[in-house]
Amino acid sequence: MGKKTLRVAFPERCVGCELCVMEVQRQLKKVGLDGSLIRILREKSGYTISIDPKVDSMGIEKIKLSCPTLVFSLEEQANDL
Amino acid sequence: MISSGKNVLCINLSKQQSEVKSFSDLDPFLGGVGLGAKLLQLYKDDDPVILSVGPLNGYFPFVSKTSVVLQDDDGVEDIYVGGTLSFRIKFSGVDAIVLLGKSKNSCVLNIMDDAVTFESNEINAGTLGLPGKRSVLAFNSNNELFLDDYFKLPQDILEAKMTSKALVGVVVTGTKTFSIKTPDKYNELYKTLLSRISDLSVEKNYSPSCSGCPMGCDRSQIGERAGDLLVHSLVACDYAKRIYGDVGTVFSCLNVLGYDYTHEDIEKLPTLIDTTFKELSS
Repeated sequence: MGKKTLRVAFPERCVGCELCVMEVQRQLKKVGLDGSLIRILREKSGYTISIDPKVDSMGIEKIKLSCPTLVFSLEEQANDL
Repeated sequence: MISSGKNVLCINLSKQQSEVKSFSDLDPFLGGVGLGAKLLQLYKDDDPVILSVGPLNGYFPFVSKTSVVLQDDDGVEDIYVGGTLSFRIKFSGVDAIVLLGKSKNSCVLNIMDDAVTFESNEINAGTLGLPGKRSVLAFNSNNELFLDDYFKLPQDILEAKMTSKALVGVVVTGTKTFSIKTPDKYNELYKTLLSRISDLSVEKNYSPSCSGCPMGCDRSQIGERAGDLLVHSLVACDYAKRIYGDVGTVFSCLNVLGYDYTHEDIEKLPTLIDTTFKELSS
């Protein structure tokens, strides 16, 4: 089985609550926005979600569940040969 | 205790100067409207506008608003705006931002943590600060004041005051992080409070939400005016009054963050703020 990765499956659902950012930071035992592996960027037409690939080393199931609008999905990466 | 005293970023628009002041005697006012009322009293000769947050902003769910206290022709006003501003002020490392005096020329304030630059009114406020860590409070082309192009304050109270101060925008970027002293207890309390969605007096929706609130409700687009003094000292959402209007819950939250407020301190707070408001009105 491949490793699971966190993906932004439904960006249009994002309401900008930043609970995912809080979850990421809480796993790192801190609060704040700096150094977060997820950033929520306000755009005129909604939100853009920026994910640092390093987030996959964290508790991504909890991060996925932290989103009230189910923006994220977990996808399996194919194993390299 | 996490900190002693309140850190206040004082910005003198007339002189285009700023400094951070630490007030060791303002802890009893907690934050938000309490801190705002006391700072209004201290700076009343300089026509202050006080933007303030409380000790729980950035830490706990539904504590998502920013208090704005000022004086206009109708007396002292306390109004509240949602969006991302409370997180940005909290993560800039200050408890309040006080805008004093009046700018000679129209300007935009660019606040990066506790550093302030005074920008020309020709600059697009949306280009200032750091993406993902900033809030932009600015007039649009129709001369309407918005936070992050969506959230508004009730009535035109802040619009009128900013116009009188020749202030066309305020951008706040917060880059500081804080460690959690007792992460297990904090996480447990955070999850308990987040699960209390049924105690909110708003329905879940898909509108832009305030930072730290999963509701996406459509009622927070236009902020609040007056209301519960304890809730608004935190500064929580008034729609979460059943959670943060409870002294025991507030005590637990403060305690887990390392503050040494007692139940009695919290219970006395509304009277303390009422007294301050009465002194300001007399």
